[in-house]
Amino acid sequence: MTLRIDPERNEVHALKGMADWRGKRVLEIGCGNGRLTRRIANLGTQVIAIDPDRKLITTARKELPARISERVRFRVGSAQELKYPKETFDIVVFAWSL
Amino acid sequence: MVHALREAQGVLQPDGILFDLRPEPVHRRVGILSDAGYQEIGVMREDLTDDYFANRAVKQVLREGLFRSEKHIEFNCNRVMDTLNDFRTWLLDFVDRGNPSQDSLLERVEHAHLTLRGRKKIIVSAPLMLRRLRNLAR
Repeated sequence: MTLRIDPERNEVHALKGMADWRGKRVLEIGCGNGRLTRRIANLGTQVIAIDPDRKLITTARKELPARISERVRFRVGSAQELKYPKETFDIVVFAWSL
Repeated sequence: MVHALREAQGVLQPDGILFDLRPEPVHRRVGILSDAGYQEIGVMREDLTDDYFANRAVKQVLREGLFRSEKHIEFNCNRVMDTLNDFRTWLLDFVDRGNPSQDSLLERVEHAHLTLRGRKKIIVSAPLMLRRLRNLAR
C-alpha cells in the first residue's frame, strides 16, 4: 500500500518554527510507526518515543535509519503512566494522541 | 486526558514545553488530483467527540495553572494515496477503528476515479492544530 502522510512535511515545519530543538531531550507520546519521530530526531534532538501498540513499536524500530539510531529510543508505553524520573525532558510532544 | 497532561508535566523540566499536535475537530475532505487539476469529492463522516474532550482537557490544565498557552497555529495535513486500492484499504482500517461507514463516499470516489483521465492521486486532507504550552511548575 502506498500511503504518504504529510509529504509536504508541514508538521515538522510547524514544530521547528515553534521551538529551538537542537540538543533537547524529547518525549514523544503516541509515536505510532515512528513517522514523526524520525523527523523530530532530524532536528538534532534525543528522543524517547512511546506508544501502547507493541506492533507499531516493532515497526518503528525496524524503520529507524542507522544515522539517527543513537539518538532515538522506542518504548511500549502509555501517557497514563510515564515511567520516567521527574524533570527528565525539555520537550514533550503529544503526537495525535491527546 | 487531563491525567495524561499531568503525567507529562511531571516529567517536564520547569519551564519546559509541551506540544499538543492533533487534527482540528473538523471532518476530513477527500479529493482527487489528476491531469485536470484537483477535484473535491466529499467529506468523511467521523466521530469528533474525542477531539472535543481533548480541547476540554487542555482548557482544564490551563485553568489549574499547570501550563501557560503560548502559541496556537493551524495548518493542513494531507494523506496521499496513489491507487483506489490504497484508498479502499485505508478507509477499511479507518472504519474498523470504530468510525461510521463511508460507503457513500467510497462510491463517489470510485466513480470520479473512473471518470478522470491520466495519472491520479487520492488526497485526504485535514487541518491540524499545534499548540505550545509552557510548563509553569516551579
